[in-house]
Amino acid sequence: MPLIEARALTKRYGSHVTALDGLTLDVEPGIIGLVGANGAGKSTFLKILLGLLAPTSGNAGVLGLDVTREGPQIRQYVGYLPEHDCLPPDLSATEFVTHMGRMAGLPAAAARERTAEVLRHVGLYEERYRPIGGYSTGMKQRVKLAQALVHDPKLLLLDEPTNGLDPAGRDEMLALVKRTGTEFGIATVVASHLLGEIERVCTFLLAIDNGKLLRAAPIASFTERTGTLGVEVEDGADALAGQLVARGLDARVEARTVLVDVQDERPYDMVRDAVADLGLALVRMEQRRHRLEDLFRQDGEGAA
Amino acid sequence: MTAQEPLLAARESASGAIYDLGYQGYDGPRLGRRAAVATLFWASLRAAFGLGRSGRAKIVPWGVTALLLIPAGVTVAIASLSPQAPAAFDYDNFLWNLSTLVAIFVAAQAPELVSSDQRHRVLSLYFSHALERSDYALAKLGALAAAIFLMTFAPMLLLFLGRVLLAADVVEAFGDELGQLPQVIGAPLIYAVPLAAFSLAIAAFTPRRAYATGAIIAVFLVGAAIGGILGDATSGALADLSQLANPFVPLDGTRDWLVGASIVDSPVGRMDYPMWVFAAEALAVTVIATIATLWRYRGLQA
Repeated sequence: MPLIEARALTKRYGSHVTALDGLTLDVEPGIIGLVGANGAGKSTFLKILLGLLAPTSGNAGVLGLDVTREGPQIRQYVGYLPEHDCLPPDLSATEFVTHMGRMAGLPAAAARERTAEVLRHVGLYEERYRPIGGYSTGMKQRVKLAQALVHDPKLLLLDEPTNGLDPAGRDEMLALVKRTGTEFGIATVVASHLLGEIERVCTFLLAIDNGKLLRAAPIASFTERTGTLGVEVEDGADALAGQLVARGLDARVEARTVLVDVQDERPYDMVRDAVADLGLALVRMEQRRHRLEDLFRQDGEGAA
Repeated sequence: MTAQEPLLAARESASGAIYDLGYQGYDGPRLGRRAAVATLFWASLRAAFGLGRSGRAKIVPWGVTALLLIPAGVTVAIASLSPQAPAAFDYDNFLWNLSTLVAIFVAAQAPELVSSDQRHRVLSLYFSHALERSDYALAKLGALAAAIFLMTFAPMLLLFLGRVLLAADVVEAFGDELGQLPQVIGAPLIYAVPLAAFSLAIAAFTPRRAYATGAIIAVFLVGAAIGGILGDATSGALADLSQLANPFVPLDGTRDWLVGASIVDSPVGRMDYPMWVFAAEALAVTVIATIATLWRYRGLQA
């Protein structure tokens, strides 16, 4: 039984906005990155899985349950972190998370115990007794994660969990997401428009674009080494590329980096010599990996 | 989550300490939809009286409740000191005469229960839990009705207990007052349900608390004004019909019809309608308002 399955899932808003367009996929447990540009249909997909939105056509299942008919049963086992603010300012984190635990069906004592535990896990301590209205964005994101975890869900749906966080806050949130997925063993779907984040925490990638599935594969298959060497120099990238082409290499300039096709050892020496001949300042040389961005770029070029 | 158990045990024994057990799963019962609705009902009822909230949230509910209890207490005290003096308040005219206080409570507390969830988008979280949208609406409606009932029942109960316990012969007084019990319980109930339904329907349509409170007060004021102005300026059919615009008229009429007698202050007794008309209006308002609330929550984006 797949964790999530979708069959020809389509969602239209009105007559001319299509958020999901015949999405068909099967997802196995793991930390799944759901990636796509803003408006690609990520949030719509998550909301359909939760039964918050009804699909226009097609169907979807979560944990073997049908999303349109068995919403409440599904939602007992799913934790959801919405993209937007969703916290009442006048309650404390403890009160609110306990309340949400009880909403998820936990008995009162269990809800209190689990609230203390998940708030500790997400790193909220003394401040958990203060009203949420006074929290920083980072603390609010932690409360949102805590309320999604309080009932020990089998599936966690996180919609842009790093939204509005500063770089340090992002790192902490991503580390938490990674922990929930690995150490806590909770299957997690992370929707994000930031490929770098998906790369860091996820094991599997779902790429959607314009409501269609672009690619579904393990992350590793996207980030293999490529036969491209990136050479970064301070000035004169164009001159360097010219030199390398003159020496018979396939080289091109992208931003301030010269990309060189590498089939064997020879190009490394040629790059060194060319840089020395031109008297350039070499900043770095690195073996390029496939990047997730390429996925979208290639597709865009292919379409154009 | 059984797969986590051996993992956890291994970690415990390896470290030999219980300071950090790591993440623990939950294997206990999940009580489902019914429990979620019950949780929401009780939490909302507490919120209606500002329990567990700041002091500011308690001012209106407890202030109004106190203002309702004071005349009941004074009535009881006067009756026990000079039994012959005519009582200003009795079970039948109590809520009608103090309906302004009831209106204030309703206008302040209906938005308290629902506006914040919309404004701060907590609804997304409620709707992603084990309940349906209609469950949310009905739990809130039930909680508001229960809150209005408790607030209006308290002074009625005080009247009842005062008359029984302060009487010269408690047993005899209890026997006398027992016949009034349908009114003691029924009148608050007849007021609570339609008022909750109609005020919640208004409050559900805006995330702004102040707008909701203003709109509910406006309905009370405009209704009473239509009844008052047209009732004075005209006579006959139009005057009678205009009285029905006052939200408290159908409530008093229903009370009159089901559990008690007509009272002098209310226009109900002077109107030329069969009594079931008032109950029909109260019922129609309740049903339409409830449907409107359910419809609103069904379409609300979460």
